[in-house]
Amino acid sequence: MISEREAAKYPFLNDAVTLVEALGLTLEDLMDPGHAKVLDRAERRVAQAIMKGEASPELGDTITELLSFPVGNMFVTAMGEQFLFRRYALSEAVRAQGLLKDETEERLAKIARLEFGWTLRLVDERLDGRLYRFELLFKDYLRNAAGFREPEWKIVNRLMRGGYVLLTRREVSRLLQEEIQRRIADLVSRRRQISLPGPLGVKVESLQKVFEENRSRLTGRDLPSELVTEAFPPCIRHAFEGLLAGKRLSHMERFGLTSFLINVGMDIDEIVNLFVSVTDFDEQFTRYQIEHIAGLRGSRTKYTPPTCSTFKTHSVCYNPERLCQHIKHPLHYYRIKVRDIQREQGLESGDEAPNTQTTK
Amino acid sequence: MAEQDWGSEQYVLEQFSRFYSTGAQHVEAPTEIKQREFGFLSFGGRTMFRHIGFEDTEELRRYLRNYSPAHSYFSGAYYEEPRAPMAEKGWIGADLIFDIDADHFYLPCQKIHDTWTCKTCGEAGKGHPPERCPGCGKATFTEENWLCENCLEAAKYEAQKLLDILIQDFGFQPSELTVNFSGNRGYHVHVRSPLAKGLDQLARREVVDYVLGIGIEAEYQGLTSRQVGGGSMLGRGGWRGRTIRALYDFIGKSTPEEIKALKLGRNTTRDLIEKKDEILSSLMNQHPSRIVRYIDKKSMGKLLDAAVDEQASAIDTVVTTDLRRLIRLPNTLHGKTGWLTQNVPMEDLPDYDPLTMAVAFKEGTEKVYIRRAPEINLQGEVYGPFEEETRELPLAVAMFLLCRKSARVVR
Ligand code: SF4
Ligand SMILES: [Zn+2]
Ligand SMILES: [Zn+2]
Repeated sequence: MISEREAAKYPFLNDAVTLVEALGLTLEDLMDPGHAKVLDRAERRVAQAIMKGEASPELGDTITELLSFPVGNMFVTAMGEQFLFRRYALSEAVRAQGLLKDETEERLAKIARLEFGWTLRLVDERLDGRLYRFELLFKDYLRNAAGFREPEWKIVNRLMRGGYVLLTRREVSRLLQEEIQRRIADLVSRRRQISLPGPLGVKVESLQKVFEENRSRLTGRDLPSELVTEAFPPCIRHAFEGLLAGKRLSHMERFGLTSFLINVGMDIDEIVNLFVSVTDFDEQFTRYQIEHIAGLRGSRTKYTPPTCSTFKTHSVCYNPERLCQHIKHPLHYYRIKVRDIQREQGLESGDEAPNTQTTK
Repeated sequence: MAEQDWGSEQYVLEQFSRFYSTGAQHVEAPTEIKQREFGFLSFGGRTMFRHIGFEDTEELRRYLRNYSPAHSYFSGAYYEEPRAPMAEKGWIGADLIFDIDADHFYLPCQKIHDTWTCKTCGEAGKGHPPERCPGCGKATFTEENWLCENCLEAAKYEAQKLLDILIQDFGFQPSELTVNFSGNRGYHVHVRSPLAKGLDQLARREVVDYVLGIGIEAEYQGLTSRQVGGGSMLGRGGWRGRTIRALYDFIGKSTPEEIKALKLGRNTTRDLIEKKDEILSSLMNQHPSRIVRYIDKKSMGKLLDAAVDEQASAIDTVVTTDLRRLIRLPNTLHGKTGWLTQNVPMEDLPDYDPLTMAVAFKEGTEKVYIRRAPEINLQGEVYGPFEEETRELPLAVAMFLLCRKSARVVR
């Protein structure tokens, strides 16, 4: 059985959940003033997620710490904000990671194996002056690290042999953070959205307000409304010019170019005309495909262009420039370049977001 | 004579049908046949018949006997309902599939047997088409691509490198790997393993990057200027050893002229020539970080790129990352060659020669008129080149030319 302190540190573990369930608390119980501390801490967890994206542990009162986790989850579910599901899960996972990295190798291995089903072996190997204590089966490694953008996480840049990837203790706890984040995101998004009664509802409402105040800061700045072709990244420029010259683009180039143009605000008709005029594509079919990518048909999701790493895999990335070293996404390049251009033209005074009305 | 008569489609269909009347018996179902989607292209048809499912091998064979398709495929993926429309199929998992196609390579022999013509101005040339037409600057070309024993050997070599990576680095068992000759210009490698089945698209992209060596950085190959301890990496597994071995070979075999041709930094070029033995002995006996002092950062990047190119396996990036890809079914005919897509036991791969082994129409002759074709080596004999001539040829050769639409039957 798990200790109360352990459960408070890692309340998403199966044993911790069992422990909470055994207490058999109901919604009524929670509304009792005796549990005010739990509600306060739960509110703080969510508020920290919104404000900082990272909850800090409060292990002084372990039972409050433990109980406030399911209550915090309940708040987040009740708020029903997709974006917050992810941010809260991240925030809690980062909190846990901070504690995990001080655990012993054996403890880490136990959590990884029992809770997340990793095939993990303990080793003791020194490479390039670093001490490696673990070997993880590549499929478990990729499930967690394939989305990381830093070059040191790519398996080409790791030592892999016989299917096992060499890892340090710190790296294992970082990968566990991913598993934890997925588990928590799943927990809060899977449940049905409910409206909470009494003091619980009050907390949700006040959190909702905090979220609204921070929404625009969190969800990022917008792209300019005018199309700025000079700000296209090299890959897109290359595909675009190729298309104009009548080159047969690969599927990935076509998809990348189309979704890019849609996302930077080119008119659908204009894109259709572009493709039809330089290729022998059928207009109706072309329009159908483009509208599909724009989210006007089928699954109704508007596609964002692939990331730089996808472009690199499929050799769409072309002559990356200096700016490319600092970005992960072609749209990101575009956003920065547009700002630079506008600044050069004196359209912009400070580093405010482009296309705001405040330019003097 | 009208354009559509090239290839004598009706004749080829009859031959395929004759083949499948007995040949269908040799087609084996892929594992978990009930969870696989099948797809077929018929002669003259332009759309693929997809979303087809079979209960057992016999049903699949019956289909081949009845329809004699020009191209036959099955899904690497496993579905709850393979016959349902894509969105409702219920994806369970997929084999990890690699496609190696000499079409994507740059080989000297392509300058002999491949041609391109600009659709705009008619300018023509040999090999792969250029980025832009030198005549008019446009980029729309018609291409005529052939193949030869050279291309096929090159493809096989890439397949062997791939198998090595899959077994040594990824730890797959040889029994989990299948190698098929594609029936045209390349090889397919299938990995059927519980470790591969559940990999998502992101993970498969990482596998592709690994096999192609995309994103390798010197710093993480031990070529760092940090003070680190440790010994030589020459004998190490994974890319670690591969890059260092490639650097060692490369520096070892390059003449001073070849090194100068790389246009590396001035000091680097000098050191690579004058201190070659010192550098090689460092690579042999010490940690790779020891050679960083001779080679500036940019030059190291270039050297590494060259080394990686040699060691990576040139797989197609789209096939492996597509979770729903259809791939050719072994022991069926390839409609563009009249050859078999054929399983090759791994131990036979070194000596495998598709130009004799994969030939399906082994007996008989046919009289054909050929508009143009380069030399082709089939079943140990050389035929052609042909240019507007009528010939009585072994059926295998006639079928090959017909399937490529470069000839028609003369009756
Ligand atoms: S780094 Fe990204 S933005 Fe730059 S060229 Fe490559 S894919 Fe395009
Ligand atoms: Zn031209
Ligand atoms: Zn060739």
